[in-house]
Amino acid sequence: MIRVQLTVNGQLYVRETDENKTLLRFLRDDLGLTGTKEGCGAGECGACTVILNGRPVNSCLVLAAEAEGAEVETVEGEAKGGKLSPLQQAFDRHHAVQCGFCTPGMLMSLRHLLRRNPKPSEEEIRRAIEGNFCRCTGYQQIIEAVQDVTGQLKKPGVLRHV
Amino acid sequence: MLAEFSYRAPRTRDELLGLLAESDGKRKIMAGGTDLLVGIRDGALRPSLVIDIKKIEGFDRIAFDSKSGLSLGPAVTINALLESGIVCGKFPVLAAAASELASSQLRNRATVVGNIVNASPCADMAPPLLCLEASVILASASGVREVLLRDFFTGVKKTVLRPNELMERIIIPASMAGCRGGFLKLKRIKGHDLGIVSVAMIRQGKILRLAIGSAAPTPVLVPDLPASASAEKVCREALKAIQPIDDVRCTREYREFMVGVFIKRLLERN
Repeated sequence: MIRVQLTVNGQLYVRETDENKTLLRFLRDDLGLTGTKEGCGAGECGACTVILNGRPVNSCLVLAAEAEGAEVETVEGEAKGGKLSPLQQAFDRHHAVQCGFCTPGMLMSLRHLLRRNPKPSEEEIRRAIEGNFCRCTGYQQIIEAVQDVTGQLKKPGVLRHV
Repeated sequence: MLAEFSYRAPRTRDELLGLLAESDGKRKIMAGGTDLLVGIRDGALRPSLVIDIKKIEGFDRIAFDSKSGLSLGPAVTINALLESGIVCGKFPVLAAAASELASSQLRNRATVVGNIVNASPCADMAPPLLCLEASVILASASGVREVLLRDFFTGVKKTVLRPNELMERIIIPASMAGCRGGFLKLKRIKGHDLGIVSVAMIRQGKILRLAIGSAAPTPVLVPDLPASASAEKVCREALKAIQPIDDVRCTREYREFMVGVFIKRLLERN
């Protein structure tokens, strides 16, 4: 066992955990933060994406022990006071969510993109989510949700691909 | 759940080399972990101890000077390379390959040294580093040795690295700074994917140099050609140097064909 102290969405946690436990399993099983999903478990699908010290990573390929002293952001940090973040609301409006399994990871990759780049081009949006697989939407609604929340749609809020 | 192992994160190089010196072959270094943890999950690797090298000061350093060239520490990530003005400005072929490697999540973790040590035939960083005459510094508790990257790979996932050694630096000679070049990689999708075949090319003065990935048991450096060589001649020499196979990703014939296509495109652009 190893002692891990880290911040998740601004809250400090200290836990004793297994040395061979991934950050993903730690978040879900030890902290009860089940928003982050396990898809492939091998760094292919991006469902488990979290922001670790300011950078999106696949939490299935990070050990909890490595995150000692780290700042982690997960999908649970998006909504504030029970109200969805503007990015989440745009996902909702544009039907960018179908089964929802990829959504927490998508939101984390896009959160990172929007911090660096408040008005990303379509190509930049696509590049930002190249490591996040969605098997339902075909991506287009996700891209339009981002264009909407960044004020880049000619008719904001109007569905184009449903 | 991953098979059981212990975890250590040494704070100094000496402590790390001490841990490796006692290695029974079951102690594995973890840099980005993007190959290691997948290997453990699949059961291909069964380490008793995972040694995280990211907490050692200076291991994430990218340094350049006009005498000793470019030096990359063992914890330099692919995205750190892409964010380095020196790398993008002076070694464009390295940046071109780095931007083709996996996804942004993986590039935030995966390291250049890890990509080389893992020694996959499709390692994206190998062809540009071979073109740039890279050498690697291998350190153990008993000393340090320097090996040319072209002598480092011995087979699929096999290298001259010993179990008690750390690859502590990759060095590119200063004379290679400013070389024009490019990297093209065939993938099934535009997003992140393993390479089906890849070609790196540089021009240095009167020399044209190519290296090819996923076309032999190891990444292949093609013997130097004159800068004036025709595309047909370059393709002929490249095909002589590689031994591609049919596998789950594509056929030998398609790999050879695409090597020719990539060579022509690189010659047009560089």
